[in-house]
Amino acid sequence: MASEADVSEPLIVIRHVSRRYVRGADDVRALEDVSLTIGRARFVALMGPSGSGKSTLLNLLSGIDRPSSGEVIVAGMRLGELDEDALAAWRARHVGLIFQFFNLMPVLSARDNVALPLLLTHLDRRERQRRAMVALRVVGLSHRADHFPRTLSGGEQQRVAIARAIVTDPDLIVADEPTGDLDARNAEEILGLLRQLTNHFGKTIVMVTHDPRALRFVDVAYHLDKGVLLEGEAASRADDAIRRAAAGHSTTEPHA
Amino acid sequence: MSWARFVLANLWRNPLRSALTAGAVALAVALVSLLLTMPAGMDLLLDRLASNTRISVHHKAGVVYTMPAAFTRKIRQVDGVAAAVAMSWYGGAYEEAGRVTFPNFAVEAEHVGAVYPDYRIDPVELDDFLRYRDGAIVGRGTLRKYGWKIGDRVTLKSTIYPADLEVRIVGEIPNDAAPMLWLRRDYLDEALKARGWAGLGNANVVWVRVADPNRVNAVMRDIDDLSRNSEAETASETEKSFFGNFFGSLDGLVRIILLITSLVALCIVFIAANTTSMSVRERAGEIAVLRALGFSRAAIFRTLVAEALLLAGGAGLLGVAMAWGLTGTLRALAGWNETLGPLGNFTVTPAVVAQGVALSVAVGLLAGVAPALGVVRRPVAEALREVF
Repeated sequence: MASEADVSEPLIVIRHVSRRYVRGADDVRALEDVSLTIGRARFVALMGPSGSGKSTLLNLLSGIDRPSSGEVIVAGMRLGELDEDALAAWRARHVGLIFQFFNLMPVLSARDNVALPLLLTHLDRRERQRRAMVALRVVGLSHRADHFPRTLSGGEQQRVAIARAIVTDPDLIVADEPTGDLDARNAEEILGLLRQLTNHFGKTIVMVTHDPRALRFVDVAYHLDKGVLLEGEAASRADDAIRRAAAGHSTTEPHA
Repeated sequence: MSWARFVLANLWRNPLRSALTAGAVALAVALVSLLLTMPAGMDLLLDRLASNTRISVHHKAGVVYTMPAAFTRKIRQVDGVAAAVAMSWYGGAYEEAGRVTFPNFAVEAEHVGAVYPDYRIDPVELDDFLRYRDGAIVGRGTLRKYGWKIGDRVTLKSTIYPADLEVRIVGEIPNDAAPMLWLRRDYLDEALKARGWAGLGNANVVWVRVADPNRVNAVMRDIDDLSRNSEAETASETEKSFFGNFFGSLDGLVRIILLITSLVALCIVFIAANTTSMSVRERAGEIAVLRALGFSRAAIFRTLVAEALLLAGGAGLLGVAMAWGLTGTLRALAGWNETLGPLGNFTVTPAVVAQGVALSVAVGLLAGVAPALGVVRRPVAEALREVF
């Protein structure tokens, strides 16, 4: 096991990972023998139809779930060697999470929502507040710092969630359909913002999405179907189909 | 933002629900705190009522059984006895107040003052009690209760003897803890004989004042030895013990009240636990997100339990404050309202405060731990899958 991350090494290595679980009387095969390597400072999309295993793969590489077999290594850490609490501590340090429905704490202001993951650090209150404001500035929402989620638009709430994901300066940001609950304009703004995080801050982002517009923003898209990672011809066909669907969508320049 | 502020913000999420839960806990703690003041209050009341040098001599089988009044003369001869007075329960009811009974006793006028020097009855009034065969001395509380004053004539209808008596009030017992009326034994004796009865030959109790507080036990033993193996064997006890036994008969009632209160407190625990469970269920998504962000199971557990503890602890302090305010008000009222007199003895002591707060903390722990354990035991992936 590598004890320290080496920038020349890939950030994420997934080897022969399968994930099965029992739902009622059914034995569900969510992922079947998936192997994947993702380098640093890459913006990656995981695409595929519902039930294809995208979110399961995202949960495995963010340490939220464990594989039934195979190995997940992120930033040199073999996640299978960590128990539940060690995994939680590892996530707090190395992973930023973005959800489809934003999932901000309704009782906290935007600033406090962003500062929430910093409660798990040893930073003092003033430093936590300062870093939260820096993160809000990065997403262009410092002027809304004292607003509560219910007074923010969907796009603004997702920006706060992105600020919360980057405030601890994680190695990896995982986003589960971050544009799924947004209109077209806000969706493109959020995708553009994520792209900037990779371009300007060197963040590795793995994003589950159904949104064909995402292809114009990401470095690479992986396609899953029925728990299997598509490769070769099948992957190219899936990619082409999505790119054709995306052709009529966007107005903004990717990779800005 | 600090962790404490996060906990407070969560408590403020549904202010009405938090307020109602806190109100229920506060009321239960106030109730329990008030009951916890009872034993100490009873002791204080006993101290005020009773003297350590006055003893009660009564039939071994209980005060409802009588003993020969002549036995009083033998008691007066026992070494260490300063004074003794025979008393018989007259059971007089005051018709004008709706035939209400109150403590009234036929006593020996020439001895009663010597047995009760601590009552500080005016010597002139005691002389009048001796002078007037139909005289009566009445406790201050009873005088006020019925609007009587010295010089009034009052007719009492006995519920025990076939002798209704009109008495003349000649004196007052200036002691709030003594609400009785004393009339003269010889007056009742004559009335009974006039109606063909044998007269008042028996007594329910002989009250004795012992000269030396250090010899009380020896005197009691000597007195009881006088009647050993007779038909009316006596049992002596100090006045404090006598009233203690009387209050002791209330112990059962107090225990029932405590049992009911404990059940009420248990219900409050269930209510608080249900409220916490509802709150945790409603926040299942938020809690799953917190765990996904990296909050450990221990941190989530601490947060949820801290919320429950803070709510219950705050409510407990409020409840103790309510009990303190109520007993303080009763004490203040007792200063000018005689009927509230005994209630003025109940005080919320530091021990009661500690027990009340401990109860609320226990409620908080019991209400918070179970739902918090339930939510942290579930794997985070499963929790996320269920809520998203």
